[in-house]
Parts: sequence; structure tokens; C-alpha cells
Amino acid sequence: MSNRTLPRLLQAPAILLLLIWMLVPLSMTLYFSFIRYVLNSTIRPEWMTPALSNWRGLGNYKYVLEAKDFWFAIQNSVFIVSSILILTVVLGLGIAVLINRSFPGRGIVRVLLISPFFVMPAVNAVLWINMILDPVLGLNGLAVAGINEIVDGLRDFPVLGGFFSMWPEFEPISFRATQTSSYAVIMMVTWQWTPFAVLIFMTSLQSEDESQKEAATLDGASPWSKFINLTVPHLARPIAIVVMIQSIFHLSLYAEIEIVSRGNGNKNLPYLIGEFTSNNIGAASATGIFAVILANIIAIFLLRIVGKSLMD
Amino acid sequence: MAIVTQSSKLGNVLWPTLAWVVALIFFFPIFWLVFTSFKTDADAVKPEFLFFFTPTLENYTNMTENYDYWRFAINSVITSTFATLFALAVGVPAAYAMAFDPSRRTKDILMWMLSTKMLPAAAVLYPMTFLTKNFLGIFDTHFLIILVLCLINLPIVIWMLFTYFKEIPKEIIEAGKMDGVSLWGEIKDILIPLAWGGIVSTALLTFIFCWNEAYWTVRLTTIDAATLSKLIEGNRAPEGLFFGRLAAVSTAAIAPIIILGWFCQKQLVQGLTFGAVK
Repeated sequence: MSNRTLPRLLQAPAILLLLIWMLVPLSMTLYFSFIRYVLNSTIRPEWMTPALSNWRGLGNYKYVLEAKDFWFAIQNSVFIVSSILILTVVLGLGIAVLINRSFPGRGIVRVLLISPFFVMPAVNAVLWINMILDPVLGLNGLAVAGINEIVDGLRDFPVLGGFFSMWPEFEPISFRATQTSSYAVIMMVTWQWTPFAVLIFMTSLQSEDESQKEAATLDGASPWSKFINLTVPHLARPIAIVVMIQSIFHLSLYAEIEIVSRGNGNKNLPYLIGEFTSNNIGAASATGIFAVILANIIAIFLLRIVGKSLMD
Repeated sequence: MAIVTQSSKLGNVLWPTLAWVVALIFFFPIFWLVFTSFKTDADAVKPEFLFFFTPTLENYTNMTENYDYWRFAINSVITSTFATLFALAVGVPAAYAMAFDPSRRTKDILMWMLSTKMLPAAAVLYPMTFLTKNFLGIFDTHFLIILVLCLINLPIVIWMLFTYFKEIPKEIIEAGKMDGVSLWGEIKDILIPLAWGGIVSTALLTFIFCWNEAYWTVRLTTIDAATLSKLIEGNRAPEGLFFGRLAAVSTAAIAPIIILGWFCQKQLVQGLTFGAVK
């Protein structure tokens, strides 16, 4: 047995499994994206089974690009993902700096902070949309009702009452509505992923060069300028990684969108694919290929960073 | 890191207090879920019982009756456990070969493996349903869910194991080879004991990811292999009638994993960033 045979044999099962897992379904998607394939086609029953004779060329892609839902899904995905990214990075940085010092109960603080990350997505969504954000029975509804009651009480006061009687009754926001369901998703995902950002930023802060900062202190640098000139550049790579890993995860959000409003007013590409899949497989596959391309663009940048740190 | 100068007495009180407040805010939704799980369904939606109520365990004792909880929980345990074990069984030899016998292509192979993790699942939703339902006949079986969970986590498993194995001095493995130890003996008696900590954290993290997976476990099952993700998603909108019991079943679904998660915070960073943040 040659020197290289054994290591190859040991890697073979993993490589073969992943190769099949990647190639087989994806090439089927690619194939379906070029043919007419409709599950319930009463007029053209031949479209109901996949066959090369139903070749449509780029027709499915054209159909998808012209669909209003597709552009809405792209726009909405970008809106959701970028909102989550901005919120998690800003909050994550703030919190990481805040707890990167010793104080009483720091261990407990860390444990409390990290916990949301381990909540399963379905529970996260069910918990937020029902028990917290529900406009009548959730804390959202109860809080608004409470405020209204206080304002009502204040109306009876002399002098001040005149001021408060000008206030309107507050209406709680319903987060299942068309315009607001994406906010609910942004809120719950931000809650879940901020701990992730905190954890990574904190790991990275701990490897910061302390002597550099001490030197800066001796030179009379202000805390703020130390943060901007030393800490932020040090965190550049972790920030890039947090942004890219989250982009890849959040581009494929599904459970949260399904639970909050079943995609009503709040679709993304995976959700659109799911909707197409109930009937128009050709369109679903073309949308899938677009999703793959989008994910790949981000993945290339991420892999480049990971690759650099791999062998050292 | 001191944003405030060390002489600042105010800062020494202010920043830790703020840290505590932030931590409590982040934990609050979980607390609220657990808190609600001890209210009856009727009490859970009454403002007058918001904070003060007679706690009850009925939501937990009725969990089987209300939701058939244990069936889903057992499915979650079975699929997550076996997926983790299979991923390790395939991943340990592969990572071993990559760490101790790297070739020119090892880096490319690792990168390629990661890239499979980044494919959007939804893109292959129909082919997967089609293949497993019409072609292989394994739709809604434990076998399928175990296989899928194993495959989607395999890149992370190999990646993590690779970074742990690389820390072991090559000489130790080489010495074993000189003594004529068999390959199996090398892995079993030298590698696994030396990398035990790393293997355990990889297993824990993989188990967590499997347990929380919410796309394939929902889409490739109907009843037989349905996991807790599917159970919760199926009860998405109880319209306030069943907040108490829903909170209880949700608590039961997340509690084991949160506790497990507390033990592997450190590994989480490595597992999720593929070793790029140290």
C-alpha cells in the first residue's frame, strides 16, 4: 500500500457522502429549472412529469425575474438581513466591551447573555409572536393597555387633566400584519444572534494586545480614541466573520417567517421557493438557483478569510 | 478593557450594573416562557395574574395528553444522537488523515467541505422531497432525518476535529507507527484519548445543532419521524387560548439544550467560525 492510499481511504467516506449530498439534489434542481414542470397542470398533463421534451430553456428564469413576488422577496431579504446585521454587530460590540472586565457575577451574566442563542428557532418565534408581541394577550398588548389606563386616570386631574385629555388612546401594534411582520422577525432573530456576536467579539477582545493599549494610555490617549484606533481595527476580522456567517444563516430564515405570518407581507427567497414548490417546480428550481448564486457570492468572501487563518 | 479610567469610582458601579441590566433583558423572554408555563391556560392571559398567581404543574403533567410531547422528544433524541455519532464515525478518520497526513489538496478539500454547508437548503427542497418520497421511499423515517442531520453537520464536525487534532504533536502519532501499532489501535489508543476533550465538545455542539434544526426536520417529516421543531411549529398560533400549555411544552423542548449550551460556550466560537476567530 502506497504512502498516500491510507489517508485517502480514511477521507473517502466523508468526501463521497458530501459529494453526493451536494451534487445529486443540486443537479436535479438545475435540470428542473430548465424544463416545464407543474404538479397540477390539468390543461397540459405532460408537464406533470419531468422530461426533457418539456424543455423551457431560460423560460423559468425569465418567469421568476418578471414575478413581482421575486423582487419583493429579494428586497425583503436584504431588508431583514441588513437590519439584523446592523443591530447584532452594534449591540454585540457594545455588550462585549461592557462585559470584558471583571465584576461581581460576570460568569452568571455571561450565561444569561448566551442563553438565547440555544433556543430552537421554532420556540423563539412562538414565544415572541404570542407571549410577547401579541397585541391583545401578549406583553405588548398588556403594556399598551396599562399605559392607556394610566393616561385615563390622569385625565381626571385638575389642570394637568386638560393636557392628558388631548392624548389619544394608544393602539398596540400587531406584528402579524403585512407591514409589520418583518419587524417581528428582525426582533426575534436579533435577540437570538446578538449573543453569538458578543461571544465572538469577546473571544477576540481577550486576545487584544494589552501592552499596546498601556503604551497608548501613557501617551495620554483618551479611552474613546483607544477604542477607535486600537480595538476596532483589531475587531475588523471578527466583525467581517460575524457579518458573513450571519448573512448565510439569515438568507435562509424559514421557521420564523412561517410562524409569524406564514409569509404574509414578509417573504424571502426560501419562503418563495416553498410556495412555488406546491405547484410550479420549474419556477421553484429557478428561484433556488438564484438563491445558490446569492449565497455563493457571500461564501466566496467568507471562505477567503477562513482559508487565510486555516493553516497557521 | 477599561473605557473609564481606573480611578473612576462611578464607572466601577455603573458599568457592571449596566452589564447586569442588559443580561437580564436578554434573558427575560426565556424567563417569561418558563414563568408562563406555571400558569393555567386561563390565568396566562389575564392581566391581573401577570406577576402573581397560583403556580401549577398541570401544564407539565398534561404534556403527553395535550401534545404527545414524548413521542416528538424521543424522535429528537434518537435523530440527534445517531446523527452526531455517525458524523463522528465518518469525521474522526477523515480529520485524522487530514491533520497528520496532509497533502497539497487538504486545504482545498476542507474549504470545499465548508462550502457545502453554505448551500441554501431551500434550493434543493423539491429534489429532496421527490427523491426521498417517490424514489427511495424513506420520507418521514428516522433514517432519513439522521442522514440529513449528519450530512449538514459533517463539515463542521470535520473542521472542528481537524483544528483539535492539529494541536497534537505529530511525533506522538509517528512514535505509535514506529512501534507497529495498527491504524485502528492508533486511533483508538492514541488519538481518541489525547483529543478526548475536543471530541466531546464537537459532539455536544453537533447535538445542539441537530436538536435545533428547523428546516429539514419539518419539511421531510409528517408524523413518524417528526421532531420537537415540528411539534412547536405545528402549534404556532394558539390565539392565546393555550399560552400556559404551549409555554410548558416549549420550555421542555429548549431546557436540555440551553443547559448543554452553557457547557460549551467556548467551543461554540470555534465551531461556528471554523476556527477563524481565536
